[in-house]
Amino acid sequence: MKATPQRKKPIFYLSKESGTIKNPFEEFKYFTVPTHDLPLDQIVQSTEAVMDRIRWGYEKLLEEEAKELVWMVQYNTIIKAYEVAEKYVKEVDYAAEDIEDFCFALENTQKIPYLIPGPAGVYISALCNYAKEEEIVLKLSELKTEINLLGFRLPKGKRLMIDGDTGDFTGIGLEGGELAVEGNAKNWTGAGMRGGKILVKKNIGLHTGEWMMGGEIYVGGRVRGLGNIVEGKVYERDKLVYPGKTKYPNLYY
Amino acid sequence: MEEQNYQSIVEKIWPKLKKKHLYPQIPVPRIREATPPKQDGMEENEGVGLEMKEKQMTINGAFISRMKDKMPGHQVIEALLDHGITHYTFCPWDFQTHLMLYAEAKKVTGDKELAKQVANYFIDVIADTHCVKKRFTEIPELHRNLTKGTVEEVIAFLYQKIWGVDLGISPSKMSVKGHGDVVRRLARIPYLDRSRWGESIKKFARSLKPLLVVEQKEQGPRGGKGDRHPQGEHDLNHYSNEEIDQGLRDYAKQTMALSEFKDVVEDFSDELKGTGYGMEGGMGRGRGNPIDADILFYMKLAENYSIPLKKLPLDEKGSLHPHSHSPWEIGSPYQDVDIWTSFGKIMPGITQIWTKKEGKGRGKSEGSPDCLIAIDSSGSMINPRKSLSYAVLGAACATNAYLQNNSKVAVYNFSDAPMGGKDILDYTDQREDIYRVLCKYFGGGTALDLEDLMPLIRVKKSLDFFIITDMKITNLETLIGFFEQIQNRVTAVHIGDNPYAARFQKAVEKKKNISIYTVKRKEDIPYIVLGRIRDYFNPTHIKNY
Repeated sequence: MKATPQRKKPIFYLSKESGTIKNPFEEFKYFTVPTHDLPLDQIVQSTEAVMDRIRWGYEKLLEEEAKELVWMVQYNTIIKAYEVAEKYVKEVDYAAEDIEDFCFALENTQKIPYLIPGPAGVYISALCNYAKEEEIVLKLSELKTEINLLGFRLPKGKRLMIDGDTGDFTGIGLEGGELAVEGNAKNWTGAGMRGGKILVKKNIGLHTGEWMMGGEIYVGGRVRGLGNIVEGKVYERDKLVYPGKTKYPNLYY
Repeated sequence: MEEQNYQSIVEKIWPKLKKKHLYPQIPVPRIREATPPKQDGMEENEGVGLEMKEKQMTINGAFISRMKDKMPGHQVIEALLDHGITHYTFCPWDFQTHLMLYAEAKKVTGDKELAKQVANYFIDVIADTHCVKKRFTEIPELHRNLTKGTVEEVIAFLYQKIWGVDLGISPSKMSVKGHGDVVRRLARIPYLDRSRWGESIKKFARSLKPLLVVEQKEQGPRGGKGDRHPQGEHDLNHYSNEEIDQGLRDYAKQTMALSEFKDVVEDFSDELKGTGYGMEGGMGRGRGNPIDADILFYMKLAENYSIPLKKLPLDEKGSLHPHSHSPWEIGSPYQDVDIWTSFGKIMPGITQIWTKKEGKGRGKSEGSPDCLIAIDSSGSMINPRKSLSYAVLGAACATNAYLQNNSKVAVYNFSDAPMGGKDILDYTDQREDIYRVLCKYFGGGTALDLEDLMPLIRVKKSLDFFIITDMKITNLETLIGFFEQIQNRVTAVHIGDNPYAARFQKAVEKKKNISIYTVKRKEDIPYIVLGRIRDYFNPTHIKNY
């Protein structure tokens, strides 16, 4: 075990002129290194402030959602959580880069109490939907957790590109926007979407397009299983698989 | 002639530079003469302005000459030296930080060369930004005049944004190329916040990776050398052997993860070999063999823990007396330091220790005997080459303790010994050989063969016995019977608690020469006292049986 280092006593010496004890480092007492204010300081400071606001909104969402203790993925729960998220997100002035930073902050920072993939996904979706930018790129390939519900209610005119894999319920309730996933997406992707486009570069899970009312899903890899689709199109490697001969949901091809 | 002129400029401005950087302990930089062009017309390190080897900075005279049409020589020299000094005084500061930055970058890029490039750029951005913020420097002027590739242009645009100075990069040009977005992301990183460098380099790597990948494809493989940075490469040449030793030791302790350490060491294996790491000779240095990252991990990690070794009266041929000097290394005991020839300093490279030699007298004196280490590598133990094994770490610490007291160590690594699952190393003081046998893993059943141990015990008049196991030994009764017979000091360490360990404790509880320790966490290791004979008063933190 390391012993606590003892604080060194100041060194004093006897001044010849005055005959009094003098600290030889006295003249350094007010020594300061001149520093220049850089725009970087301002940028970092404002980024931190925005991140604090975003974090605060997320914590509020968790607080309100924690009343139900267990977060169940039911459509009315999601809508309720989204409304809460919207309320806090609208108050913050942020940029698209802040959303990506928040995604990583969810995993890395001690300041955020916990990452719950459901509410986190709803909150990130709200951030994307209310961002000023029309195109948002989230480079999430190093995230250890696959976030659920990304792209929820993405409106027309918005394009969300996700570099990495996504969890369940990706792009549900899509409202005309374009969602591109440069990786895999799990189950229930595009469920209940009304319009727009979902592009998944690799594979997609079960119940794809469940209760989908419109729009298109393009999958570069394999579709593990389709859901009960009402209307819309699903392509697997450029081949139309719905509407097609597959009638039964969640069958392996 | 020009070089002499540059050297006189360096000597003239050096005192001012030292003062500006608060007097770092760095020797006067040198000017390197321009080397004659090679047959292919390319000069070695043509575009590099500054080289750093250990703490010696060398400025390329040809680089200054090439730049002199754009800015005065003394300004180029000052800017290069400001940059170089900041590497020593701020970033990366030490080898451990360099390794940490590289390891974090590799997590994002997944490629060794890209990770090295990312770490180089990141370190340069931090050093230059620190300099611009805290010192009056010509670095911005140097960047304005450097010839730039795509990535350098992006970095220069970043500087423009975060320093607020014009470096001649047009924002419209950046937007056209689509680099504006990259710079916007890069500009948000808190470069000067040391505590966040780990997460910052990941963000930096994520943003810069696409550009580096494109550049790598365009330029092809560079033979492990990375880009030619005008402000110098950041390789292991920066660091002295002692700094590398210390860095590896700290990095092993900080990560405590074998796989991470292994990855980094393997990525730097060429450079480490260049600095003398080859697992032959003392402290893991020497040339010849490939680097065994697993062994190096335990070696460096064990250097962070020191466990005491109780001495005992030995049949002595004579007492030890100081005979000759040898260099002191980090981890060596302080009590043998010769303060007179070390100028009162504890510093690798300066400090010397007395090497003691045995005299011709007779009688008894205190000393440490040789040690036989028995280590269990059965299936119930952790494979030391897959993850951190406390058994190997504990045995490694014991090895260090005996070797540092000039004793020899023999190793009996056993699994199902009667069936051949064993490895025996005779008494030696070769640390690497001992570690190699300690790190061997059999993964089978657990049984000792006393026939193997007896020859190792019989040859020694006084001997300590160190056994580390989880006690799930099939012939535990035989082992207990054996321990009841011998009078040697026995240090028995069991990993975790189980009924077998309890049985062993109960069986040998009356034997005063046997001390038993439990290791559940790595923090328990320093509490082991080697060769301890139980007495009436015991420290409370040691469990006695």
